[in-house]
Amino acid sequence: MALIEMTDLVKHYKQGRTTVRALDGVSLGIDAGEFVSVVGRSGSGKTTMLDLCGLLMRPTSGRIRIEGVDTAQLSDGRRAELRGNRIGFVFQEYNLLPSLNVLENVELPLRYTGDRALGRRRSVELLEAVGLSDKIRARADELSGGQQQRVAIARALVNRPALLLADEPTGALDTETASEFVSLLRNLNEGEGLTVMIVTHDLELAAQTDRIIRLRDGHVIEDARQLQWEREEVAV
Amino acid sequence: MEILRNFKRRKLRSALTISGILIGILALTTMGAMAEHVNALLDGGVKYYSSSIQVSTASDSSPLLATSTGAQLEAIAGVAAAYPGIGLQADSSSQGISFGPSKQVVTWDPGVERYSTLAMPLASGRVLADSDRGVVVVGSNVARDWNLRVGGSVDLPKKPKDAPASFVNHAFTVVGILKPTLTAPDQFLYVSLPDSQMLLGDTLSPALKGKLDPTTLAQGFSVYAAKGSSMDTLDAIARRISKEVPGVKASLPSQIVSSFKSGSLIFSAITTGAALLALVIGGLSVINTMLMAVSERVREIGLKKAVGAKTHHILREFMAESVVIGLIGGLVGYGLGLVLTTVFNALLGPGNELFLVTPALTGLAIGFAVCLGAIAGVIPAWRASRMDPVAALRAQ
Repeated sequence: MALIEMTDLVKHYKQGRTTVRALDGVSLGIDAGEFVSVVGRSGSGKTTMLDLCGLLMRPTSGRIRIEGVDTAQLSDGRRAELRGNRIGFVFQEYNLLPSLNVLENVELPLRYTGDRALGRRRSVELLEAVGLSDKIRARADELSGGQQQRVAIARALVNRPALLLADEPTGALDTETASEFVSLLRNLNEGEGLTVMIVTHDLELAAQTDRIIRLRDGHVIEDARQLQWEREEVAV
Repeated sequence: MEILRNFKRRKLRSALTISGILIGILALTTMGAMAEHVNALLDGGVKYYSSSIQVSTASDSSPLLATSTGAQLEAIAGVAAAYPGIGLQADSSSQGISFGPSKQVVTWDPGVERYSTLAMPLASGRVLADSDRGVVVVGSNVARDWNLRVGGSVDLPKKPKDAPASFVNHAFTVVGILKPTLTAPDQFLYVSLPDSQMLLGDTLSPALKGKLDPTTLAQGFSVYAAKGSSMDTLDAIARRISKEVPGVKASLPSQIVSSFKSGSLIFSAITTGAALLALVIGGLSVINTMLMAVSERVREIGLKKAVGAKTHHILREFMAESVVIGLIGGLVGYGLGLVLTTVFNALLGPGNELFLVTPALTGLAIGFAVCLGAIAGVIPAWRASRMDPVAALRAQ
């Protein structure tokens, strides 16, 4: 069974008098444990796809099932619960809260879902895993870009989600830090079976994933799986 | 902690917002304390005059009545008892502004306790007995100001520094001290009728001294009906007294009580005005600050929604923030008000206090500040909670 199943997914926006067809009849599935990238030019609909899969918005028509649950039938509250428990987000600009320290930022999702007492240990373990155990009490704005992105990953994983959605996650990082970031996601994907979906316009980053979905004008124009040696060739 | 850190990050704005509430609550505390003081005084008056009828002479030429008038009064239908009374200045030398009654020597008949609704509990010693002479029960302010103790002695009236050679006073032994009532009795020294008549005799002019027998005189009567009688009943008795007893006039208790209550209403209006001032100044500053906080923290709201926050979580967080603003402003404003009223009371001196900070006022000031914060936070918090997560996350 697919972790995410999109069926004839349509999302239209009103922009002034014109209607923007951000997604126009997309049907595809993403299995548990996949490492997928979604690429395309600006306006191709890739971020809209991420927002729909992340239950941050509702489609104009069509259906999204997550772990077999038809999300169209869910109330806003249930969608928020599903987001908090099963989906982790990583954003280009990290979105760490300046009023919280590093550990508190990681624990933030536990405030709304999950067990805060158990979550404390998990948060510390995750910060150790991303190499920030010495920055637990630091303020978020005292960290470098790469460090902030690692905190954002720890935050995304604290509730043990099934799906990690990353929106241009390396956009604000230098090449070396971006490479480290991809390795970290790869380890999580292979080690913990985490399903990863990255939205990016960076083709080098996309080339390091197992599957590339290419969008144009709201349509899927290519859906290609890559072999390991192809990925490694790109990485070299 | 997060709320306090958010305040710390925007120190100036937080301080200005809290100042808005602070000013309002300071006004509420000081004005409220003044109203509480006056209302306590007036409340005592209401209690006293709603259970008795004050009878005085109808004559313009003499302020005095014969004690024998008491029998005529008690013969009126509905009258249970009539007690002659005398009230004299206890300290004619006291000067300056006074916000309550002056210290007075007042007649006290032990029988009054059976009818009066104004409770006057003892702090120490005992009340007057029928046979007492040369003894006094003093109010709490008098005891404090004149440093009186049970068993001690006080000369009445107090001798002024510029007293003439003919000035006469008498030593009284203090047998009881009343608990504070926050109203007139705190300023009174209660003596028996014969003693008050003796003191009245001392005040008569030399021309009258030979002609009048002070032991037959009173300045007025307090007339009582059966305990628990209604105001209408007392008014009816007062009318009968004025009509049927020659040479006297009886005040209608309802009119006296009404004048006290209208005074109380004025001061309640002052408190309400201060509360409205707090509402406008504090409320607007909290609304402004919280709306700014919402617009500045749009991405934060978006992120929280993305990681699982529901509408009620966001609503609660922003409401909590504005309630904390209200609480801090309330505590500081109330604290400053308390200091200010204490200092003013100390400057005005014992017996002349203008402010009374009661537990009810404390609860009102802080509770009002918290409610103000909560109410003012509703619109910004609602706006934050209804925000579209996608638009919020992508906001610049």
